[in-house]
Amino acid sequence: MIRGSAIAGLLRHFLLTLRLNIRSTQALVYGYLVPVFFLLAFGSVFRADTPPLLSQVGQLLTITILGGACFGLPTGLVAERERGVWRRYRLLPVPTGGLLAGTLLARLVIVASAVLLQLGLARLIYGTPLPLHPMQGIAAYFVVAFAFLGLGLLVAALAGDVPAVQALGQCLFLPMIMIGGVGVPLSALPIWAQRLAGFMPGRYAVDVLQRCANDPRGLAGAGFSLIALLVIGAAAGIAGNKLFRWDAGRRAGRRELAWAGVALLAWLAVGCAALATGRLKSVLPPGGGYGTITDAQMESITYDDLTGDNELVTRLAPPFNPAQRPAFAAEFAAKLRDWPPGRVADAAQRVRHLLSVAAIADISADLHEAEIGRVVFEELQLRVDPERLRLVLAWIILQPDEGRFLTRTPELGLRRQPPEPLVRERSIYYAKKYLGRLLGKIRD
Amino acid sequence: MSSPPPAGIRVRALSKRYGTIAAAQEVSFEVAPGEIFGLLGLNGAGKTTVIECLLGLREPDAGAVEIEGIDARKNPAEARRRVGAQLQFAALQDKITPREALGLFAAFYPAAARPGDLLEQFDLTAKADAPFDSLSGGQRQRLFLALAVVNQPQVLVLDEPTAGLDPRARRELHRLIIAMKSAGRTILLSTHYLEEAHQLCDRIGILHEGRLIATARPADLIAGARATPRLAFRTTQPLAAAAVAALPGVTRHEPMADGWSLSTQDANRTIGALGQLLATGGNEMLDLQIHRPSLEDVFLELTGRAWMETTAEEQR
Repeated sequence: MIRGSAIAGLLRHFLLTLRLNIRSTQALVYGYLVPVFFLLAFGSVFRADTPPLLSQVGQLLTITILGGACFGLPTGLVAERERGVWRRYRLLPVPTGGLLAGTLLARLVIVASAVLLQLGLARLIYGTPLPLHPMQGIAAYFVVAFAFLGLGLLVAALAGDVPAVQALGQCLFLPMIMIGGVGVPLSALPIWAQRLAGFMPGRYAVDVLQRCANDPRGLAGAGFSLIALLVIGAAAGIAGNKLFRWDAGRRAGRRELAWAGVALLAWLAVGCAALATGRLKSVLPPGGGYGTITDAQMESITYDDLTGDNELVTRLAPPFNPAQRPAFAAEFAAKLRDWPPGRVADAAQRVRHLLSVAAIADISADLHEAEIGRVVFEELQLRVDPERLRLVLAWIILQPDEGRFLTRTPELGLRRQPPEPLVRERSIYYAKKYLGRLLGKIRD
Repeated sequence: MSSPPPAGIRVRALSKRYGTIAAAQEVSFEVAPGEIFGLLGLNGAGKTTVIECLLGLREPDAGAVEIEGIDARKNPAEARRRVGAQLQFAALQDKITPREALGLFAAFYPAAARPGDLLEQFDLTAKADAPFDSLSGGQRQRLFLALAVVNQPQVLVLDEPTAGLDPRARRELHRLIIAMKSAGRTILLSTHYLEEAHQLCDRIGILHEGRLIATARPADLIAGARATPRLAFRTTQPLAAAAVAALPGVTRHEPMADGWSLSTQDANRTIGALGQLLATGGNEMLDLQIHRPSLEDVFLELTGRAWMETTAEEQR
């Protein structure tokens, strides 16, 4: 049991850690000047965006938290350990874990102050709007900081001296900055790097922070990212605590080093879970349009999750025999030909509207749902040239949240009005079935 | 009949290995209340290992440690509350001030000394708000001594407190250590300096290669030594070796620049005869030094190694 005097001591240690941070030139440079430098660097590139820098807030804050947690925390801890400060602390009548917790808490406050400084300066210099969901933003900050402070603690435990902290910290920092979706946006990365980023916490940190900055839905739908960060943070934190050394002369044994493997396993588990649940889809540049789709992105689309054409959902009739075309198909095709939403100028939106028809028929379990699916496929091929159709379908599959899908088409004889998310989901399935056939990936 | 008070520190058959190296082997000693016990040994002798096991910083492989009757292995937190320590390899943050450091450490104890009083007692008031990295070596060590007594312990463990200090700072620290003993504290002091051990310690334990090879009062250790007094003298004219060897009591003689160094069993008789010899030959004594047997001789006898040579080697 911790006595009252021990609590007073731990509180004093926490406050003193904050005070000493302010007195250290190195801590001020790395903790505040470097984040400001990143802000100015991002500002020089994205200041012309509307609104300026808002779409980069997630990346900017992730860099700040990552730097503070993976460099600031272990550098301070290891420098103190090298000097023998922790050796002296060890003689105090409190568990070392209590002092360590105070140090982590102080770092949480220090990094939060750097984040607030960055947001304030972005608003002041570039007019960047403040985050859309501030309360959710605070929650997201805690989760991201938890993940990165856990990693920082592990770095402190593994590094023998301050130069080793720099080396280990860079091993975490640089990959996340370059190919982890933190420094370079995911959409600008090749497919393999986008997939690899799914195994790193940086991608999830950017996701949750960015959602709080400008996504109207906030953290809704960010469950996986939040859990990924908590898992990675917990594994690293536990490993860091197990491996933590208060004495510079001590070295971890092989059995203890296995804990570092546990921390890495968490990254692997998160990446595999993201891959298995289809979360590592190719990310396209926002507003780039279907014209930006690359061959590699087209190739990254998988078809394993599709059901058979005769199963319950997304049914699709085989190609019609021109000599014996069913009467319903001919009649429905004629209706579709005069249907205004199927004639809009924007090819991507036109395709979405037509996909909605197949999806509504499917969800409504229409008597002719399979034939409607086939008629829609034929109409798409008639109304959009083949190359463009492939690009548009790929775009719709890779950007499932974009565009508008219809939920009501009574003029086509489809009376039911299913919910929009369901129509969107089924439309994407149909898009895959069609694209697979156009690319020869699925036999028709 | 009441039982005698427990020893301030009791170490029984303490052993600790690091891989194949036996850092401490069956080390046993007691430090009585109010006593200064010196732990003397070269680098690597095991002093720091013994002290770290005693303070609970390392887990011994075998043996028992008691602080004021409290089993430090079974009840380390209580033992730690009763002991104050100054560690050899410990420092503070660069920008922390003595006032902050004392305030921080005092906050962990329910009955701590007041930081202001400690600053005054250890002559740090003028530097109370100066950052640690601006303090001199002596001021730092005084601060560490102040930190060691912040919990007002009766038992103090000081690991090489004067290492690396200039003579003046060392004398100042000696004064403080004597003052702490006068206040009734039990002190375990490890040191590199034989003179310091002789001057400060009531008893001394000599550690060599992890074993405690001797424990006694400094005077008793010296009295028990086989070493004899040494004389070193220089003369205006050279003296023949045969004449020096013939002086009464001389057991060994070696030439040195303009003179001789010799060992004698009876310094008074040898010096008297040397005076007569010089007067007879019209020779003059330029200087004469008498070296009584010291702890250095005791160390040489016990370990087979000369203290000065070994410490010089270590420094290199």
